Amino acid sequence: MSVHPEPASLYEMLACVLADDMRDREVGFTGLLTGEAAAIWGTGIPVVAMELARRTHAPDLTMLLAGCYHNPDLSVLDRMPDCEHDAQLRDLPAEARTRDYPGQWALKRGDVSFGFSSAVQVDRVGNINSVCIGDHDRPKVRLVGPILQPEHMTCFRREYVMMPRHERRCFVERVDFVSGVGFPGGRKGREALGLDWGGPRFVMTPLCIFDFDEEAGAMKVRSIHPGVAPEKVQAETGFDLGPLDNVPQTPVPDARRLDLIREVVDPRCLLLPRERGVAGPIMTGDTK
Amino acid sequence: MMKSGSKLLSAAEAAASVPDGSRIGFGGFAVYQKPMGFVRELVRQKKKGLTIVGSAQSYEVDLLAAVCALDTVETSYVGLEAYGMARHFRRAVESGRLKVVDYPEMVSWDRFRANQENLPFWPVPFLGGLDILTTNSAIRKFDCPLTGRIMYAVPAANPDVVVIHALAADERGNVVTPAKHLLPQANDVLLARSCDRVIVTAEKIVDNAFIRRHADQVQIPSYRVEAVVEMPWGAHPTPALGAYHADRSAYEAWVETADGEAVLERWLDRHVRVADNDAYLDAIGGARLARLIDLGDLT
Repeated sequence: MSVHPEPASLYEMLACVLADDMRDREVGFTGLLTGEAAAIWGTGIPVVAMELARRTHAPDLTMLLAGCYHNPDLSVLDRMPDCEHDAQLRDLPAEARTRDYPGQWALKRGDVSFGFSSAVQVDRVGNINSVCIGDHDRPKVRLVGPILQPEHMTCFRREYVMMPRHERRCFVERVDFVSGVGFPGGRKGREALGLDWGGPRFVMTPLCIFDFDEEAGAMKVRSIHPGVAPEKVQAETGFDLGPLDNVPQTPVPDARRLDLIREVVDPRCLLLPRERGVAGPIMTGDTK
Repeated sequence: MMKSGSKLLSAAEAAASVPDGSRIGFGGFAVYQKPMGFVRELVRQKKKGLTIVGSAQSYEVDLLAAVCALDTVETSYVGLEAYGMARHFRRAVESGRLKVVDYPEMVSWDRFRANQENLPFWPVPFLGGLDILTTNSAIRKFDCPLTGRIMYAVPAANPDVVVIHALAADERGNVVTPAKHLLPQANDVLLARSCDRVIVTAEKIVDNAFIRRHADQVQIPSYRVEAVVEMPWGAHPTPALGAYHADRSAYEAWVETADGEAVLERWLDRHVRVADNDAYLDAIGGARLARLIDLGDLT
């Protein structure tokens, strides 16, 4: 163990919070995202979190990379692949490889415990949108479409929404198009919609972590990252967050877990950048 | 005794059999193994008013949107993955020229499963609260007659014609899938079972003896196939798993076509307004294509 490790980065801190939320024997699903920020938030942090959980309290957690590769051996890679269904991943050693869709996991029976998604908009009840900004039939901006978000937010047992940017235009009162359902009307609201389980668990941003009052159906600030003023969180959010004075600080990982991430899980920085300047703000505060 | 029949057509003949206004299901998935050679032939023949029905779309829809060949796209995703938004598609939608009917990704596959089972719809319980419902009157809510729970009847995909790109097929229409296949090839198989009109473009036309040696891998038998087209590098610039990788420089060249009308016109002159697929491959260049070959695991 290093005597004086570099302080934790934002990404490492979020990975540790996620790992703490995972339980043994769960099944976690993450896509293979591309582009600097999207790849870090959508693939890097989730994979580090799952690998960390597997090496600590959850040895029998199953990671589904790109939804297809069960517990792949990332140590044989020179770089993270940027295509989900081509030769590099096809030849990656894994416990199981999915050839059909759905494959080994019975999606609609709830086999997947948790997944990760990102969105262009999130609203106060946790609905997410990746379809369009403005009117659907004549949009101001047309986006990629719902992809698997509807299933992530209902068939998976819970969802972590990863938002690389925390800005007012992303955190809105009501999304322009609901492509993934949060807690409208709370848990009872979801039941009335015919939804059996699932929904967003956390929304993670560079400023804070949100979770949900699932009864009331409202997103609330669970913790604010070290060095971030509560006023900043409210200013960058397009709906009222209520009093933030007593919101705890996001826990910073201890040296043992940082060592695990840096020496065992991601020794070659394939998943998370570590150079100063690109690794996100340095986190110092109460360690966990 | 009658001789075994050949379904071999030229790309031009096969594309000519797809009328304007058709609902087309293209094989492959997202940016993988799309029947791009056939799509270029559709552009060459100036098809209009097409509807693309699928589960995840990319370069094929962006090209057809660029030349205003589309009325409607029904899918879960249109984008170029690592190469960003499909900008021609995006512009067409934002201008109101192109209609999008959004479906969840797994449900998009289920719509073809409905056709495979010859059902008018697929029951889906998890659509409540989505604007996919408020923007699509074709999806109908109903109570499950056995349990009473809320369900939604999602209409089958109902393609008029399905076009897939395969590695090998014989003249009769037996199609070989690679032993180590992935999702995009699974989608090819599903699509081929969902429609009475299936057109297959193939890297190579093989003899029937080759088919018989790979019987385990023939998931699309001759009786499901209407026409076979020899189309080497027919998925280019998308990859054909087991044959070649994606052509990243061709992706970049395509992305640039959204910068302006003149760039698009130059690209079309060079890649589409040519005689046929062979002329396209000559324009790309043999040396470049050779470097894309996928050696697989050499087994």
